[in-house]
Amino acid sequence: MFVEIALLVLAVAVFFSHGLWLFLNQRRVLALTETARESLARLVNRGTINVEDIALLRQLRQDVQETVFIEVSRNLTGAGKERLRFVAREVLLLDRARKLCSNRRWTRRLRGARVLSRMDVADPVVEKLLADPNPAVRAQAAEWAAAQPSQPIIATMLTMLADPATQARFAVQDALLRMGGIVAEPLAAFLETHSGPPAESGLRVAEALATTAFRPAALRHSTSDEAGVRAAAANLLGAIGDAPSAERLIQLLKDPDSHVRAAAARGLGRMQHWQAASQLAEGLRDSAWHVRRDAGLALRSIGAPGALFLRRALQSDDRFAADMAQLVLDLPEAAAAG
Amino acid sequence: MNELLAGIANQVLLKGQFFVLVYFLAVNGWYMLLLVSSLLEMWRHMLLIADESRHLLLSSTLSPTISILAPAFNEESTIEASLRALLALQYPSLEIIVISDGSKDRTVEVLIERFALVPVKTIYEQRIKTKSVRTLYRSSTYPALVVVDKDNGGKADALNVGLSFAKGELVCAMDADTLIEADGLQRMVRPFLYATDVVATGGTIRVVNGSEVKFGRVVKTRVPTNALAGMQVVEYLRAFLFGRLGWNRLGGNIIISGAFGLFRRESVLAAGGYLHDTVGEDMELVLRLKRLSYERGGPGTIAFVPDPVAWTEVPESLKVLGRQRDRWHRGLADVLWRHRRMLLNPRYGVTGLVVFPYYTFIELLSPVIEAIGLISLAVGLIFRIVDWNFAVLFYLTAYGLGTALTAFTLILEDLSFHRYETFRDRALLFWWALVENLGYRQMTVYWRLRGLWKFLRGKKDWGVMERKGFTPLAARSAGS
Repeated sequence: MFVEIALLVLAVAVFFSHGLWLFLNQRRVLALTETARESLARLVNRGTINVEDIALLRQLRQDVQETVFIEVSRNLTGAGKERLRFVAREVLLLDRARKLCSNRRWTRRLRGARVLSRMDVADPVVEKLLADPNPAVRAQAAEWAAAQPSQPIIATMLTMLADPATQARFAVQDALLRMGGIVAEPLAAFLETHSGPPAESGLRVAEALATTAFRPAALRHSTSDEAGVRAAAANLLGAIGDAPSAERLIQLLKDPDSHVRAAAARGLGRMQHWQAASQLAEGLRDSAWHVRRDAGLALRSIGAPGALFLRRALQSDDRFAADMAQLVLDLPEAAAAG
Repeated sequence: MNELLAGIANQVLLKGQFFVLVYFLAVNGWYMLLLVSSLLEMWRHMLLIADESRHLLLSSTLSPTISILAPAFNEESTIEASLRALLALQYPSLEIIVISDGSKDRTVEVLIERFALVPVKTIYEQRIKTKSVRTLYRSSTYPALVVVDKDNGGKADALNVGLSFAKGELVCAMDADTLIEADGLQRMVRPFLYATDVVATGGTIRVVNGSEVKFGRVVKTRVPTNALAGMQVVEYLRAFLFGRLGWNRLGGNIIISGAFGLFRRESVLAAGGYLHDTVGEDMELVLRLKRLSYERGGPGTIAFVPDPVAWTEVPESLKVLGRQRDRWHRGLADVLWRHRRMLLNPRYGVTGLVVFPYYTFIELLSPVIEAIGLISLAVGLIFRIVDWNFAVLFYLTAYGLGTALTAFTLILEDLSFHRYETFRDRALLFWWALVENLGYRQMTVYWRLRGLWKFLRGKKDWGVMERKGFTPLAARSAGS
């Protein structure tokens, strides 16, 4: 009983004293942040070094310092951001972040990587974190890499498409997309030499970039043993949308996997390949509902030739094909396009 | 003879009391373990999310698409505010499907008027049998909004209809009156990005009563002065912050609140969707997904996000609250009975060996044991078999440790998200934590026992949930 009372009293004391501390701390932090923002604005806008402002920022609590710099960093680019980095170096923020990146504890490395990432600091210490044992740190380093699109970094990022941690893989795919066209050539080369899940991840990135440089790889992967890879390749071919891609997509309409057939139908619809209308009309008789739907929608998006096949399908002896054709023809214009 | 009977009764009462006391200690001991587990989990979580940049997820074309399924039944007073809040959610690829489950009030008319709905046709695959769909509407002002008007079939049926129309990789099941934090979905989707075996995620649901709500958002968090609502605030904090968060680390989450949960659509469809003939359809689905992951393989992790992601209105009348708790307990009993094969079955790993026994012997049966304890204590005192010292000791042991655990949950909230900022709110929270043991808790025991009794008698009705509404339409119209 006494233990319970002691625990209760302790809990009350902690709860209320923490509340009081929070209240006082918030007031203090607010005041500090306001002053720091003003100092930082003066330093960044004027471009001249004011010793007093530097001293003030240097004396700030680390968390407040990080908050203010990151907050300002989001709104700056070019020369402004360069000046901000200069001030961050002067107040030792970057040095501290670098040290954190080498810390034994992953939470500290994550914090260091976050600061250097937000400040867009090109530093080899963060590059090393792309191989960190902790997936959260690797993901953060990948986020940093999006703003540092050098060939060695792209090469490292491509190898990370095989990362076992979903979190890191997502960050890598996203970073590669953000790097833009510069990734196309190395990614195409990567897709030529890799297969399986890493290729599937790469094909997804390639689909968003969709240049003809990916065509050879897409054609190769469209014959993969893995259905997921073939479906991703079909999506990529649909996004590339040239004649050889269309030719292969028509063949993929006969793929044993329903998701690949559906992806092929979507791709042909996307490129409005009217020459494939008769093959797509065959898709209306498919055993899988989603293939019938995607084939129907593809016919609808092709225009007049597709509509003709859909109307013909209304008389089909296959009631599933007739039903799907009716559903697609009943769709309003906007829904069919969507 | 009489003396012999009196002696036996005496022994039964005393031994019964000791049994109940030991049971309480064991339960609180387990709770203590959960508290420690939740402390560690919260510590890790806070480190992970500090300075996290969710704007990347917001602008990424790779973010998984989400379909929100919002079943509505007679929600004309709250539907507009709730839907406007949903439309303002910060998530890149979002589809919102409101399913009016045969509403008898003006729910559909309100939606048509306020969101410029037009009837449309669409193609959808009915993989789960449901009641008939009357009309499908699309908004001409909000392209992501779909409204389904269907025959009444219950919440599970409405959700199953929503599943058929949904196009997202993930589906978010919620109550139409749940208020979701603007960045709630970004927080909830995190576990799906972190691991491939996640099949569902749930987040912390908070009580909105007493707080200030504007345009479907909670702008100022306050602890309600209404006793029933206040004590439920404490209950919700305890259930989410140390219950579910604690289980998260132990790998045994099997509950996702029906008010707000995120699921992998394909997994839910493959499992057959929500069951119609149960009042605990949300827990049943989660347990079925978990069970199927053991039986068929595939994703089976149920993740819990401690961030406060959604707000719900709790009952402020004894009658409605009683009905709700009775239904919850009937639901629990029904779900555990349906999946009884999992109990102590090594095939189902931690779920079968630890989680299922916990829910059976602690969550389900605790009102029975608690009632036995309270009744035998009263009888013992009346017949002077139990002395007052023992009675006081019993009461304090049984409830004192629980109160201390609640107090530590409040500290956990304060150290992590500290949404209740003022001294008044803190004092009120503590007050409700202390007084919930003086009557409220005993009432919940009665309601849960009633639920158990109704379950044994095979009753499956939902009862009526009355809501006050956050921003009544009349007030909104007048203000706008």
